[in-house]
Amino acid sequence: MATTQDEPETQTPPTQTEIESRSDVEGGEGPWTLTAPQTTILLTHAPLSSTWALDAVRSPEAGALVLFAGTTRAHFAGRRVRSLRYESYVPLALRTMLSVAERARDAHDLLGVAVAHRLGDVPVGEESVLIAVAAAHRGPAWRAGEEVLEDVKANVEVWKFEEFEDGGGVWRANRDGAVGVRVDDGEGKDGGVEGA
Amino acid sequence: MNTVPKPPSGHFNVLYFASASSLTSKQHEALPAPLPLGQLFGALEERYPGMKSKILDSCLVTVNLEYVDVPPPGDDSGAVIKEGDEVAIIPPVSSG
Repeated sequence: MATTQDEPETQTPPTQTEIESRSDVEGGEGPWTLTAPQTTILLTHAPLSSTWALDAVRSPEAGALVLFAGTTRAHFAGRRVRSLRYESYVPLALRTMLSVAERARDAHDLLGVAVAHRLGDVPVGEESVLIAVAAAHRGPAWRAGEEVLEDVKANVEVWKFEEFEDGGGVWRANRDGAVGVRVDDGEGKDGGVEGA
Repeated sequence: MNTVPKPPSGHFNVLYFASASSLTSKQHEALPAPLPLGQLFGALEERYPGMKSKILDSCLVTVNLEYVDVPPPGDDSGAVIKEGDEVAIIPPVSSG
């Protein structure tokens, strides 16, 4: 798992928001943003806006904007999901999202990259994550969009709790082979592999 | 999210998320400092029997927002958690 510890301090770009510990961002509902050149990060309890994401990356030099919207699914392994909730280690998640976005920006010469994740209760069918990228041409834009999404899902410190209609719930895990931890009986384990 | 109070003198904060929070029924607590990092999982297992195999073995750990390597039990040669540090137990993530 790639982590922020691999990033030397000297490569950390100037950001508008310096967050040093959880207490810096506690006690509020956000939203929390971090920005770096051509890069915008957002964590929020409010509904996500695809227009916001596209506008965050828009550039007169761009020939392609790619937007990915991940939405909350009503089923998991045949069980009906009643509600979904996301929680986060906000200061660390912001940092990780920024390093993911910057990595893609530099690798694909992106003109803009925006990553937004929703927290708290998210009704089924609504957006939980948005990835927007801008590039001069569509090839790098498509590739970077997918890369950012996979990197986000593998590394960003956000956790999803799915509560089932037939009772109980599970903390999901994106990592291949990792188990989701059931909280209804402490015994059952659900596979945690999933798509967006 | 609740505000995490500053740990009392001689303590550090440990934060629990997702499955770790469910198991401990807490979002955070203060533990006595200093504590060698290699003794962290042992100290938590003592408080929450079964936590190591159910939760901790699949978790990463951060200290002051940086990921750290947790030395094996009994190996106290690694880093030491200091008074005032913010330690977090990071279960496998599930964004998206």
